[in-house]
Amino acid sequence: MEQDAQLVQQCLQGDGSAWEELVRHHSRRVFNICYRFTGNRTEAEDLAQDVFLRIYKTLGSYRSAHGGFATWMTSVTRNLLIDHYRRTKRDRITDSLDDAMPVVENKQSSARRPDEQALLGELSSQVQFALTKLSPELREAVVLRDLQQLEYSEIQTVLAVPEGTVKSRINRGRIELARILQQMGVRPS
Amino acid sequence: MNWTCEQTELRLTDYLDALLEPEQRREFDLHVNGCERCSPLVASVTHAVANLRMLPELETPPRLVYNILDATLGPRETVSGWSAIRAWIRGIASPRFAYGSLSVAATFLMLVTASGFNWKKPKIADLSPVNIYRGTNRQVHQAYARSSKYVSDLRVVYEIQSKLRESNELPSGNEGTAPDSNQQKDPGRTDGTNPATPRQQNRANEVNSHIQVLAEEFPVLGEKLCFVLSGKLSGALSGSSRLQ
Repeated sequence: MEQDAQLVQQCLQGDGSAWEELVRHHSRRVFNICYRFTGNRTEAEDLAQDVFLRIYKTLGSYRSAHGGFATWMTSVTRNLLIDHYRRTKRDRITDSLDDAMPVVENKQSSARRPDEQALLGELSSQVQFALTKLSPELREAVVLRDLQQLEYSEIQTVLAVPEGTVKSRINRGRIELARILQQMGVRPS
Repeated sequence: MNWTCEQTELRLTDYLDALLEPEQRREFDLHVNGCERCSPLVASVTHAVANLRMLPELETPPRLVYNILDATLGPRETVSGWSAIRAWIRGIASPRFAYGSLSVAATFLMLVTASGFNWKKPKIADLSPVNIYRGTNRQVHQAYARSSKYVSDLRVVYEIQSKLRESNELPSGNEGTAPDSNQQKDPGRTDGTNPATPRQQNRANEVNSHIQVLAEEFPVLGEKLCFVLSGKLSGALSGSSRLQ
């Protein structure tokens, strides 16, 4: 955390290598949040680039006293993702859940296939698909908690909502995700 | 306190994130184990969270960092000379690239060697496709001939061994049970042994004739066989004679 704050100071003094180090250190995290939120690699890559452009422009507004650089960066990422969601809401085709949902035909039999890696990949895409079917409020809470492993207090800072709301969103998000996965045929063995 | 279904749904995240007090957790478990509605809910949400946490973290796309740096710091200066070479080596020095290159190089070496390329006196002409094809063809045929010769040699050796085994076993089995009164002693013989019976002698002659045929067909193998087998044969014959 202190190292990040130091790098930010160096960046503000015009040190390009410090900025490069910050980008290299955090780009994976930002890209993963964007990908889990959108479910699209290309879109996630463009969004991650936009996030860093925004961070670069607003780096001066970062105060280490208000939390770690990673939390601040996650907050910027989240705001940009929500902006993006709202901007593209009209363009998106609201596809029916039943139409586009990849259904697991026979989970029991497919679990016995020797190629477990392929099955895992298939399951990952099922879960990712289900994730993108959640509302953005629930999705961001679940992504931050269960994928980014953030603490409740950090999520509270990122989402700028009370801790009770954070818990409630995570709870509702998980229950909704389980319901969608069940509809898709992904059931506990 | 009676735990209800509504409480179970509301406190599910607390339960999964281990935020319940021990007493609350016990009541939660007690309720869920006996509730037909809550039991599948808890199981499905637990499964969903486990699946979520199993999602792999993706690698950053290689061009993302460069795109960000280009967009923020501006296009980088193109490096030249030793710096460019060092940067290029750094780029290809990943384990995946190294393993791939090594396996390609090893395959190439094996193929070239198998085609009969002479590494001590390399010629450009040896690398032409026609020569590679001819060399490979020759090597394959030679390998096939060598292996079939080896197999047929082995077969002959096994046949001889089985014949020897028969000749060792049969006389002792039949003649060892013969009564002592049938023993014959040549007059003037003092070493206590009898010469081979006509039947044994015929068998020995038969085996010797086989060995001679072998020696003609397989000179090197034949010599060794003659040496080894004649020793065994004489030993077998003298052994069977002693039994009599």
